[in-house]
Amino acid sequence: MAHIYLTDTEGREATIDIIAGNSLMQTITDAGFDDLLAICGGMCSCATCHVYIDEGQLAQLSQMNEDEQELLSLSDYQQDNSRLSCQLRMSDALDGLRVTIAPAD
Amino acid sequence: MNQAIKERDYFTDHDVLLDPYAYFEEMRPRGPVCQLETHDCLLVTGFDECVEVLRNPTDFSSLNSLASSAFPLPFTPEGSDISAQLEQNRDKYIGGDMVVTYDDTRHTNIRALISLMFTPSRLKANEAFMREYAEKMVSDVVARGRCELVHEIATPYVTMVIADLMGVPAEDRSVFEEKIAEGQTVGSIDDPDSPTDMSAVLFIAEYMGRYLQERAAKPGADLLSELATASYPDGTKPDLIELISLATFMFAAGQDTSAKLLANAMRYVVDEPGLQQQLREDRKLIPFLLEEVLRLEGSSKATHRLARRDTTIGDTKVPAGTQVIVALAAANRDPRRWGEDANEFKLKRPGIKQHIGFGRGSHTCAGAPLARAEVATMFNTFFDRTDNIEISASHHGAKGARRYEFEPSFIIRGMDNLHLELQAKN
Ligand code: HEM
Ligand code: FES
Repeated sequence: MAHIYLTDTEGREATIDIIAGNSLMQTITDAGFDDLLAICGGMCSCATCHVYIDEGQLAQLSQMNEDEQELLSLSDYQQDNSRLSCQLRMSDALDGLRVTIAPAD
Repeated sequence: MNQAIKERDYFTDHDVLLDPYAYFEEMRPRGPVCQLETHDCLLVTGFDECVEVLRNPTDFSSLNSLASSAFPLPFTPEGSDISAQLEQNRDKYIGGDMVVTYDDTRHTNIRALISLMFTPSRLKANEAFMREYAEKMVSDVVARGRCELVHEIATPYVTMVIADLMGVPAEDRSVFEEKIAEGQTVGSIDDPDSPTDMSAVLFIAEYMGRYLQERAAKPGADLLSELATASYPDGTKPDLIELISLATFMFAAGQDTSAKLLANAMRYVVDEPGLQQQLREDRKLIPFLLEEVLRLEGSSKATHRLARRDTTIGDTKVPAGTQVIVALAAANRDPRRWGEDANEFKLKRPGIKQHIGFGRGSHTCAGAPLARAEVATMFNTFFDRTDNIEISASHHGAKGARRYEFEPSFIIRGMDNLHLELQAKN
């Protein structure tokens, strides 16, 4: 089964199976990682599902829309490899994606 | 000691309706997760425990989120995983064909459609309409010097805003308004055998079906057109029946809750010392007002879940088949989470955004961004048009001894009416 490699805010690592069609946010929260708050439940309006993606894998992901860019720009922890995990749909093609949960603002 | 007090019935007791918070405080000493005596279900009042349940859709189904935990299961649960039994009995549940009760892939698919609906850019595009319409309604009542906030402003306003966003034709809107006004509340405490009446929903669904077919053939720029032409994440097209159910629920879900939030918030604005002036002078505080009111007086008191696998909440073992009242209003005042002043109003309370007035997890309120925008727009408009807002003492009694009537629902927290006196801007 395809999976992602996750690192949480305390440096704990986990391998999580991908369910195609789920968002990356769902993938992480369903696996029980509480430090991804995801307060708005995927409505692209809270930025508490902020993650960093391995630089080399960024190009595999869908483009950011304006709302996502704007929300991320308000975070103190924005980096070049920042994404909102609720805006990313999982598919088997993303097997091996390396994801780190960003610190909470 | 507290066990000695006779337990009140959350689902039918009119005193609990007037002050659900006192009931939750009575129950809190029994632990953050406790078994009710009045019904065969668990009551979860702890913040962490509520969040834990809401974030565990694998073990907890949403099938009873509308029907509530007040009724026995319509089947005998067998074994440690009753997921298949639940699906076989889905049609016996009120709202079993509505997004708020869905689980798993069916929910993920619909949720993917919903997540496009109230994005920040769409709300921004709709700002001018929301503002204009608010101006019109508020200036009318300010000229009169008074209003009944719930029926004259809040309810027609939220109906109009969602109708406009969705693209419900102007000539049909008043028909919907009337139908909604006729129907009983959701989760009525006065009708314990059948607390949620779906007749208004079915009525609206018929219209939605027609609109969706029209928009599929000739799409416009509204939400109904977007739904009519949308695909699921795997590229397949939703059935018309799913779209009708979603459109209907979106239209209906935001009526009462948003309208009640405006009234609940207005009480604080008028009666918290100095607050009205502070907000008038610094409008950037309005979002903080809304979040603190959503915590203290959110318009949804509770939702419900059903354990479909043997699981746990905190240290409590929960067998498959257990129904759970997720008491959002109790969690939002849990002193372990919010401190000893949990029952007090405090603008800019640390960590306020984490309240669960809109729920949490996969079913988190999809309309939250819209509800916030509606209520903030209304406050801005009221503050622009008036110098002072007062609660009518002749209707509600003097400050410190106010009397309010509440919608008789075990789901909704909100006033039936709120009479205001408005002093027009000089
Ligand atoms: C202050 C106003 C509102 C409050 C307090 C509120 C509260 C809630 C809560 C607590 C839930 C979660 C139920 C659960 O987890 O079982 C929910 C779900 C939902 N709400 Fe709201 N709501 C409000 C306004 C609105 C508005 C304006 C709309 C739409 C226009 C809306 C649409 C929805 C929908 C579609 C869901 C179901 C989401 C899902 O199941 O995935 N709500 N709401
Ligand atoms: S969960 Fe709120 S923006 Fe992603």
